[in-house]
Order: sequence, then C-alpha cells, then structure tokens
Amino acid sequence: MLVGALFRSTRVMVGLGLVLGIAVTAAFAPLLAPHDPGEQNLLAILVPPMWSSGGEAAFPFGTDSLGRCVLSRLIYAARTAMTVAVVASLGAMVIGSVLAHVCGYFGGLLDWIIGRAVDVWMSFPPVILSLVLMVGLGTGLDKVILAIVLVDWTRFCRVLRSEVLVVKQRDYVTAARLLGFGHWKTVTREILPATLPLLITLMSLEMAIAVVVEAILSFVGMGVKPDQAAWGQMIADARQYIYQSSWNLLLPMLAIFITVSAFNLLGDGLRRTLDVRFAQIAR
Amino acid sequence: MLVTVLKLIGRRLVAAVPVLLVVSALLFCVLRVLPVDPAAMSLPPSASIAEVEAKRREMGLDRPLAVQYLIWLRDAVHGEFGQSIHYRRDVGSLVAQTLPATLELAIIAMLIAAALGVGGGLLLFRLRGTPLEAAGDLGSMLLLSIPEFLWGLILLFVFGVAIQLLPFTGRLSPGFVRPGITGFLLLDTLLIARPDMFYDALEHMVLPALALGLAFSPALMRVLRSSLLDVYHEDYIEQARLRGISENRILVRHALKNAALPTLTLAGVQFGILFGGTLLVEIIYSYPGLGNLMVDAVHNADLPIIQAVGLTYCVVVLLINTGVDSLYLVLNPRLRVH
Repeated sequence: MLVGALFRSTRVMVGLGLVLGIAVTAAFAPLLAPHDPGEQNLLAILVPPMWSSGGEAAFPFGTDSLGRCVLSRLIYAARTAMTVAVVASLGAMVIGSVLAHVCGYFGGLLDWIIGRAVDVWMSFPPVILSLVLMVGLGTGLDKVILAIVLVDWTRFCRVLRSEVLVVKQRDYVTAARLLGFGHWKTVTREILPATLPLLITLMSLEMAIAVVVEAILSFVGMGVKPDQAAWGQMIADARQYIYQSSWNLLLPMLAIFITVSAFNLLGDGLRRTLDVRFAQIAR
Repeated sequence: MLVTVLKLIGRRLVAAVPVLLVVSALLFCVLRVLPVDPAAMSLPPSASIAEVEAKRREMGLDRPLAVQYLIWLRDAVHGEFGQSIHYRRDVGSLVAQTLPATLELAIIAMLIAAALGVGGGLLLFRLRGTPLEAAGDLGSMLLLSIPEFLWGLILLFVFGVAIQLLPFTGRLSPGFVRPGITGFLLLDTLLIARPDMFYDALEHMVLPALALGLAFSPALMRVLRSSLLDVYHEDYIEQARLRGISENRILVRHALKNAALPTLTLAGVQFGILFGGTLLVEIIYSYPGLGNLMVDAVHNADLPIIQAVGLTYCVVVLLINTGVDSLYLVLNPRLRVH
C-alpha cells in the first residue's frame, strides 16, 4: 500500500528518476565520457560548446582553460558528487540516528552530554566547521566525506531524538516492554519502524546538503584532490574566464542545481507520502 | 518585560561561556593536528635549526597540548590572539578590521531574507486552493535547492557580466577613500555626509546581500505558509470572520501574529547558517570581510587567524541566537508570565 502510494507520488517518481539518472551517469562515467577528464589539449583551449559558433563535435560542451573536455569532466564530477552524497549521508545517518535512539530512549547522562555536543555544533556555521575540519584533515575525497559526517550527524540526532521521545510514550511500546521485550528488541522492533519514515526523508535531504557542501569545499580549493573532477572546482576555474566562456561556468552550476533539486524533490515527496511531520529540516 | 528579556539575555550569555570554551578547545585540537610548524613559518627561511628550536620554546610549542591551550586561552581572555604568521600583524586587529564588513553584509542579507520570506510566505498562502498552489509549492522547493554560492554566481553572471548593471568586486569603487570611523561603510558614509559614496557602497552591497537573502528566504516562506495554514484552523479566525472583518485584516492583524512564532524559531537557526554563508559570498564578490580573511588563512595555514576567526563566527552565531530568542519572548506573551 505504502509502496503503491510512493509510486503514485509525482515528486517521488521525478526525484527518484533524476537521482537514478545521475547515479547511472556516475557509475558508467568511463563509458559515457568522450574523453579522459584529465586529458589536456593545449591546442584546443576554451573551445565553445557545440551549439555556438566555433564549437567542435569532438567537444560537445566545449573545453576549459587547459583544453579538457567539459562534458567528460561534468560526468566524472557527478561520480565525485554522488559518492560523497551517498557515503557521507549514510555515515551521518548511522551516527546521528544511533545516538538519537540511544539518547531518546535511555535519557540520562549520555543524553545530556550529546545534547550539549549538539549545542556546540549548532553554534558553528556548517560552512565554517567543515572548512576548519578540512584544514585539520587535509584534502581528498575521503576527507570530504569524513568532514561532512562530522558536521552533519547533528541534523539526524536533533530531529530524530525528539521523534523517539514521542514514539517512546506510545502504548504499544509500553506493551512490548510489559511483554518482556529487552531494550534492544524494543528499540529495533518497536521504535525504529516508527521513526524510519523520518529517517529516510532526512537522508534524502542530507544527500542534497552533501552535494552542496562538496561543491563548496571544492570551490574554495579545500575539497577533493586537484586531479579529481568536481563541480565546485570547475566553477572556480571557469570564474576566471567568465568573459571568454560563460558556458564553462553555467554548466557545472546547472549540474549542481539539478542534482540538489532531485534529492530535495525526492525528500519532499517522501515526506508527504510517508506523512512525516515537518520538523526543522529545511537545509 | 524588559526585565524578562534582560534575564534571558543574561542567562544565554552565561550559557554561552562553556560552549565557547569547548569550541575554542575543539578548534585548538583540530588545528594542532596539522603538520605545520608555526615556529619555522614565522622565521625567515634562512633560520638555523637552533633558532627554530629557540622560537619553538619561546612560542611554547614544546609544552603539552593542554598547556598550550591554556596559554592561548589566557592570552585570548586578555584580547591577545597572537600574531598572524602570514601578515605578521596582530590577529585581533585583523579580525576587528574585517568583522564590521561581514556584519554589515549579514545584517542587510537578513533583512532581505526576512522581507522575502514574509512576502513569499504570504503569497504562497494566498495561492492556497487556486490552480497556482502546486506551482508555488514546487517553485519554492526549487528555490530551496539553490544554495547561496550558486545565487552569488548567478547574480554575478546576470547583473555583473551579462548586462553589466552593478559592480561585483569589493565594497567601494576605486578612487574612494574608505572612512574608518565604525567600519560599517554604509553608516560611515552617512556620518561624513557623502551621499555619492553611500550610493556607491550600496551598489556594491546589492548583489552579495541579495544572493544571501534569496538563498535563505525559501525555508522561511515555507514555514510561514504552513504555520498560517495551521493558524487558520483556529476558532478565533472564524470568529473574526463572523464579526465581518475583511480577509486582509484577518491575515495581517490576527493570523500573522501567531504564525510568526514558528517562523521566528526557524529564522534563528537560518540566520546562524546565513552568517556562515557570508564566507562564500565574500569570496565570490572579493568582499573584504571575515570570509576572505579566513580562506586566505586556510590557504596559508595561518593558524592564529583560523582560530580567532572561527571563534568569532561562533560568538556572532550565539549572539544572533540570543537576539532572535529575545525577539521571540517579546512577541510571545505566553512566555512572559513568571
């Protein structure tokens, strides 16, 4: 029934379709990209895209300031973005939701400590915290993922904890305890199924955030290694040649926008279909 | 009421002290992991190993991490944040010089975000039950998908490059001498009565402030709309309608007051994030504020600056949260009974 409702939701289907499309592009990047993303062709620098005058069919979206194929770089950068989105949000989800369930269910000292930790995290603007972490960790794909996990676990923890507090009061949870369910079984069999819709929704929205953060870090030069294609990096490069070739700037921006709105659309559709209360999950 | 607000502010400031201590300790630890030797960096490359060692001892780098932190904390309490490794200047004065620029940008951006958020929220609410409702909802969701740095680039491209309407670098056109009274340029230019300069500074402010405002308004719009929808289920709205009060008056005078509270709660969080977002917008528009100072320091591994600027961001966020909470108290009479 629920699955049927998900299939009938236009938002879920459009969002999911776009996400799958981007994921397939990322997975089959070597087959789809016409060139190697790092291959420099110094005789063909800043070639305009195919549809404007002077464009070449060999470089459908033109080339950048080092003569690298923009289309190929966009495709490979989708790989970077999707890897970060999936792994980082999984990591943040696991840490955040485990802590949320433990804190919400047991309360006590641990709950207090985690609550204060969330306060400290909340006083840091996310951009600043991730940048500082990147300074300590150094650049690289794994470091970007780690930084996002370390910054964003609080999003899950904060929202899910209050949900756990509500669910914990329900009669069926008390009934399960009276039936002799242990704590582990009560949390995993009775509470988790009730918080799962919110968790899935948050996860989808977190992927959108992870894509943006990865782009931001690459944009300021503190993201993935320079030999790895990333949309933020393409934007930073193209910004210097904004007058010569504006497409180089606009295309990666469009890629970020499409990916982020796909995840947001999916998250919004899931929220409506799964009837999750709108907690403070915007951004 | 003033007493209640002051009490809240006092309580918040006391609660902020441990948070700031933890934040500064965290910053300190994260940054000490770096394989950078501040002693070697603050000496000329020709310095001998013995000289570097002497400098290390002088800077206290041979002591345990906890002792180093306490030394730093002692100096920080006295307003001493050390010397910048790269600029060879006092970090405190560098921060003091750039903070007003960022604050000015952030305040104007918050005003824009609040205005767009309220206007957009009312518009979205007005569209309820019309064929345009779905379009408005989808539109606001797509707007939510454009982060501040994309807005910065979009506006830069459209108004700076494509139709060249507005300036997009710095705070002032070359040729103007910056008056250094408060550091808040819009205020300073008014104080010295230079309308031409004020107008120039305002022109430079439009794009960065708009980029931030546009990025942070959709969330406010959506929350205001949904709280208005909730409020309209209440009896007092129906009662007002029965009294013959016009729909517009009900919306503005009756419903908006109650619907504003959840929006304000979200605004507190949003404005804290917005303040961090100034960093990206500053880089895009080469705006000489904290963000550019921070990113330069990151590239130069200038630890004293990163530390002080990171802490400054936190202090401002805590102040913003306190400010929004006080406003909440002023607007919500139910919290005032004690």
